[in-house]
Amino acid sequence: MNCQLCQKKLDAYREGILSDDMRTQVKAHLKLCAECGESYRIQLLADSVVNDEKMIIPDNDLTSRIMARLENSTETGYRNISPFRKVLKPALIITSLAAAIFAGVLIGNIYKPSVRELSQPLELALIDDVAIESVDILSNQ
Amino acid sequence: MTDSEVIIKILSGDRDKFRVLVEKYQSMVFRTCIGFLHDKDDADDLTQDIFLQAYQSLNGFKGEASFSTWLYRIAVNASLNKVRKKTGHPVFQRIDSFLQSAKGKEVFPPVSDTDNPESILIRQENSKWVQNALDSLPENQRTAIVLSKYDDLSQKEIADILNTTEGAIEALIQRAKANLRVKLSYSYKKIKKHRRKNISFVSNHKNELK
Repeated sequence: MNCQLCQKKLDAYREGILSDDMRTQVKAHLKLCAECGESYRIQLLADSVVNDEKMIIPDNDLTSRIMARLENSTETGYRNISPFRKVLKPALIITSLAAAIFAGVLIGNIYKPSVRELSQPLELALIDDVAIESVDILSNQ
Repeated sequence: MTDSEVIIKILSGDRDKFRVLVEKYQSMVFRTCIGFLHDKDDADDLTQDIFLQAYQSLNGFKGEASFSTWLYRIAVNASLNKVRKKTGHPVFQRIDSFLQSAKGKEVFPPVSDTDNPESILIRQENSKWVQNALDSLPENQRTAIVLSKYDDLSQKEIADILNTTEGAIEALIQRAKANLRVKLSYSYKKIKKHRRKNISFVSNHKNELK
């Protein structure tokens, strides 16, 4: 038996549905071939993990909780959502979004960024104060 | 009382009769949810949602298929939706996984009192490894594997649930098993390497302590 055939038959071997002859051949190959042997062990491990997960059972009060939720959901009219509500909800979301965008634009227009203005005219700013002062000092003298 | 009779009673206003269906099918639905979600709390929540959904759409049950088949369809769709939501956005996924690890929420198979910490750790690692391999399968293959391995359904039953032929399901399961085999071997090699690294780390520290 070659590895390809062995890999093909591994599932059936694990499930115990192979003929006696084929089972003996697969078993012999698994003893000889390390790679196929490892592949077999991996699958056994995966099976055991799945079986462990299958052992997890729901809590005892699950039925009661489901029935309680059912009670609440029908009381709040959850069962039959009217077509009006189906349309109203998205319409309300769209309207709110549009209003938010509009408000954003409006606020953006009201707010004017402050422009840095010179506190004095450009001509005056360019005058060298130190030079003027020194002229004054000289004239006093 | 058959399922159809119970359903007729429920539809005629006897809401409490729904309890009969819940008690009969809750384990089945829960197992399907566990197969997809691998988390007890999530499976519990989803089972509740599925029964609520089933109750709300009971009017739509035509009786063409059995009630269990119909319920399985709802369970599979709801589970896939939940999985899609969970894996929806990488950022949310990361936040979610962070929150889960912070809460210690990752759920692993029950542990017996006789297990030692090392074997518990190995079992948990194995669970995660197999779950990841299962979760990485394409949706249709994953569904077929869950229904066949977790719910032990026959190919005919799976074909009824997925509304296809038995031949198609046989081929799908074959593909899923082959795909799973490849993914399992690949991740097993990675996990083995990781374990070897951990063992050498521990032995080095043991030597240092000596």
